[in-house]
Amino acid sequence: MKANLVTSFALVLTLLAVGRPLSAHHGSVAYDNSKVVTLKDGVVTKVNWANPHVLVMFDAKDANGNVQHWVVEAGSPSAVTGEGWTNTTIQPGDKLTAYLFQVKTGRPVGRMGKLVLADGKSFGTIELTGDRPVDCNAESINGGNEAAACRPDGKKTSNKE
Amino acid sequence: MRKQFKYSMVGLVAVLVCSSFVAVGQDAPPANQNRPAGANRKADEPGGPAPTHNLDGTWIGAGESRLMTHIPDLTPEGAAKLKLNSPDPFSGTSNDPWQTCDPFGMPRVVNNEVRTIGFATMPDRIIILENYGKNWREVWTDGRQLPKNVGHKGGPSSRWFGYSVGHWDGNSTLVVDTIGMMPESWVDRRGYPHSVDAHSIERYERPDHNHLNMTESIDDPAYYTKTFVIATAAYKWIAGQDDPKVSEIPFADEQVCVPSAAIEYQKLVGDAADEDAVTGEKPKK
Repeated sequence: MKANLVTSFALVLTLLAVGRPLSAHHGSVAYDNSKVVTLKDGVVTKVNWANPHVLVMFDAKDANGNVQHWVVEAGSPSAVTGEGWTNTTIQPGDKLTAYLFQVKTGRPVGRMGKLVLADGKSFGTIELTGDRPVDCNAESINGGNEAAACRPDGKKTSNKE
Repeated sequence: MRKQFKYSMVGLVAVLVCSSFVAVGQDAPPANQNRPAGANRKADEPGGPAPTHNLDGTWIGAGESRLMTHIPDLTPEGAAKLKLNSPDPFSGTSNDPWQTCDPFGMPRVVNNEVRTIGFATMPDRIIILENYGKNWREVWTDGRQLPKNVGHKGGPSSRWFGYSVGHWDGNSTLVVDTIGMMPESWVDRRGYPHSVDAHSIERYERPDHNHLNMTESIDDPAYYTKTFVIATAAYKWIAGQDDPKVSEIPFADEQVCVPSAAIEYQKLVGDAADEDAVTGEKPKK
């Protein structure tokens, strides 16, 4: 019975939390995915552990030595939990190196490629995949954000989830 | 009966204690390190015949439903309403109620963020528990009639989740009829609208013990020219949940839309990211 319970528990966690790479479901419409911005010696100022996505805010110096306040967007809490990241893992004052895809507007906002903490822990891959394709001629489509592309007016979306 | 009651309680407890997941998971290793070989195969097995008139327990979904693409023509009134609904909760130009954590309500709660659901049978009703947003719905099975004239002058108030009654079609298919849904809710995340006179029909078919297939249809002559299927979703039974120790173990992580966090997300990321990038429009906020 105990083994059965452990099996069940692990199965549920697995189904819920893994198999969703941090960046794999996020579109690139708003982000410049042609290059990875690397920010070293960032100091965390705040973490928003919430839906729709976890946000990590940190200060990092630019090439001229000026401090910029950055916001990096990770996956949903359930998605990042699958990597062993909880809401206590990264806290204000922690140092990190961020690899991110900056928004095309040039603001200090980016989609997370990878975060490396001072203790060596890291989360994410450096991959930022493109938009998820959606076949509006199919009988049914995945009910993610890309589904909005199949409205009669072909409403565009940022294709994130 | 005893087993049915146990499943009911397990379902209730499992969904209601989801909030403990984060705390419990703090010291846990990544889930994939705990994954036993063959776990998925086991979940895919039929698990024996479906019990009669019983969906009680907790079921895991795919995260999102399958949304149908062949939506019938909208009436002029429905088409005008559709144009007003701009989807994409991540976009600075959207007016998706989700952006500020307004309830999904019915019919959307059935097809959006379908991660885990639970059923619990009471003497006169079936409770449906939806993990995302920690919603619970009462589906009356005592033979009562649905209220009339909901949302119209002199009638009962419309509601985010409407008024629901249920009945069994055969041994293992629960049919839920819902009316009186507030028109502020969307039919799905694409922004399809519904009128206050819309009728949602959910069919939960349990072909065997471990599988549950949901089909959601919409009948709304004011906005659509035909009744149509809007979504389907497949769920699997979470094995081992009848173990009495299950109350100590969370089934799913907490999935709550927190208004302050969602608004801050939009301010920090949504507006900054989507300006001139998605539709070419500037955020209006």
